[in-house]
Amino acid sequence: MKRPIPGDGDGDLLKMKKVKVDGDADADAEENCVLRGMRYFDDNVLFEVLKHADARTLAMASCVNKQWHKTAQDERLWELICTKQWANTGCGEEQLRSVVLALGGFRRLHSLYLRPLSKPYSSSSSSSSSSSSPTSSSVWGPISQAPVAPRPKPLPPRLGKDAVHLSLSLLSIRFYEKMSNFNNRSR
Amino acid sequence: MDELLAVVGYKVRSSDMAEVAQKLEQLEEAMGNARDGISQLSNDTVHFNPADISNWLETMINNLDVPPPPHPPLPQQHSGKAIYTTAAATADSLSPSSKRVKPSPAESSSSTRPLVLVDSQENGIRLVHTLMACAEAVHQNNLSLAEALVKQIGFLAVSQVGAMRKVATYFAEALARRIYGLYPENPIHHSFSDMLQIHFYETCPYLKFAHFTANQAILEAFQGKNRVHVIDFSMNQGMQWPALMQALALRPGGPPAFRLTGIGPPAADNSDHLQEVGWKLAQLAETIHVEFEYRGFVANSLADLDASMLELRPSETEAVAVNSVFELHKLLARPGAVEKVLSVVRQIRPEIVTVVEQEANHNGPGFLDRFTESLHYYSTMFDSLEGSVNSQDKVMSEVYLGKQICNVVACEGVDRVERHETLGQWRTRFGSAGFTPVHLGSNAFKQASMLLALFAGGDGYRVEENNGCLMLGWHTRPLIATSAWQLATKSVVAH
Repeated sequence: MKRPIPGDGDGDLLKMKKVKVDGDADADAEENCVLRGMRYFDDNVLFEVLKHADARTLAMASCVNKQWHKTAQDERLWELICTKQWANTGCGEEQLRSVVLALGGFRRLHSLYLRPLSKPYSSSSSSSSSSSSPTSSSVWGPISQAPVAPRPKPLPPRLGKDAVHLSLSLLSIRFYEKMSNFNNRSR
Repeated sequence: MDELLAVVGYKVRSSDMAEVAQKLEQLEEAMGNARDGISQLSNDTVHFNPADISNWLETMINNLDVPPPPHPPLPQQHSGKAIYTTAAATADSLSPSSKRVKPSPAESSSSTRPLVLVDSQENGIRLVHTLMACAEAVHQNNLSLAEALVKQIGFLAVSQVGAMRKVATYFAEALARRIYGLYPENPIHHSFSDMLQIHFYETCPYLKFAHFTANQAILEAFQGKNRVHVIDFSMNQGMQWPALMQALALRPGGPPAFRLTGIGPPAADNSDHLQEVGWKLAQLAETIHVEFEYRGFVANSLADLDASMLELRPSETEAVAVNSVFELHKLLARPGAVEKVLSVVRQIRPEIVTVVEQEANHNGPGFLDRFTESLHYYSTMFDSLEGSVNSQDKVMSEVYLGKQICNVVACEGVDRVERHETLGQWRTRFGSAGFTPVHLGSNAFKQASMLLALFAGGDGYRVEENNGCLMLGWHTRPLIATSAWQLATKSVVAH
């Protein structure tokens, strides 16, 4: 998935590397050179690296600088994050992509709906602290969500079909509501 | 002085209430036990100022030949929320289990309930009692008493906070309208009522739940069909349809052609807002590449519709679903209307009919029963709104509900359109109209539960399954119910 590199050619990158080698042996200077090197970090390389990041890392990455922001906002990265979590939705990749992108994109889908649904028992957006799961008195029993593993970097639990469908529905409703607001203002 | 008794002419100090009640019981017992008759009470005893009950009772008791046995000490006061009960209320008291009963002097001899103390300090309880007393006065057409009580409610309501205060205020207003004959209200501009509904949609999950569960049933009924048609009796802002269209767009194998017929009341300013909604939905459909067709129908009442108007296509080419969210109960205001609509629905030959209605009986023949039922229902509704974060949305939602309250309490006849009935009642009606129930699947249940988990502002919401139908409630009280129906003559197709 190579993309055209704006401005910086491969030649520049090599030049920088050469500069690093010839640079001061001083510890501070070395650090500075590495940092300067980061500024010319290839967009493609960044993209490839971020493909392996989890949602939280990707979100944080978009706050580093302009280049990182641009790369980390890429819908393809967020599509990977979303689909990694999902059970099979049944529809084709292309079909899913066109619909989700039209309705607001994977990044929005994730931050607004998938992430809160991944941790249903902690107060995500609400001010109320619900420590008990919503109970039900039916034959289907309580909803089972894979519990988040208590490791420092927990893997996001796989979301079931229902959670995915719910998220997509909410995304479409949000899109429709935004449309309505726009129409109201234009009147 | 206790205000309620003062209204009916008796003077009792609030602090003496417990004593007075106990004395009344003593007197009643003594009168019952007196072997030599009680004529001396009327002939020989001298009474002063019967309005002062406390002293009057003292006199009576002392003049009986056989002094009554001393009563056991007063039982402990009960405390508790006034509202969460579903037991049918009697004329001057609410369900005894967690309630306080105020013995009224005129009826103490017929009371056989154990004495439970009214703590006059608790204005909340008095508020409920006053509401009930006022409703009863209205029911008995004692309008002067009702008027006095309605003013009382106003005072008591201000002393409350939160849901209780708002509910009491709306009910007081509705009662006042009924007393003074100020109904029906002026019809409000449709853009205002639209806005109220939008805020209600945002604030609490009831409408979302309705849409999600109905959509799930429709989706399942449309499985495998290439051309689908939804007839929506409750078009409003069309908020239900983006999610359905998105789900159709993501169907394995591609979306079907989607046709939508939206039915709604005429707009007061003659604007064609049904068409506007259709246009917005068409835009959405284009964005997600779903073939879309729309027709908007303006009708004063659903009963004005005929199947021929709907331009139905042969059922081999097009599968139809009929959807109604909080609309069918309005038909009960006119005799024969709901039967006509159901027969039209039968003529449409839909794959599925999805119905969402309030889970309450606000259509009983007696005013007092309706009042009590709706008081409980709307108290629960308002309680569930209390947790919401956005205060403007909350206020709008309360106004939205307040209009319903006004209609249930103040209006009669054709004007009273908020004639809610329970799921059981609708089941009977649909059954006799030739429909059989379609069970909602567990995925609808799961999505609904997850929706509630996401919803800010309260973990008191509960989703319940009831014989194939889904109900959403607040704590133990179900508030709305979604059900799905198909024609009885349809052969069962294996899913």
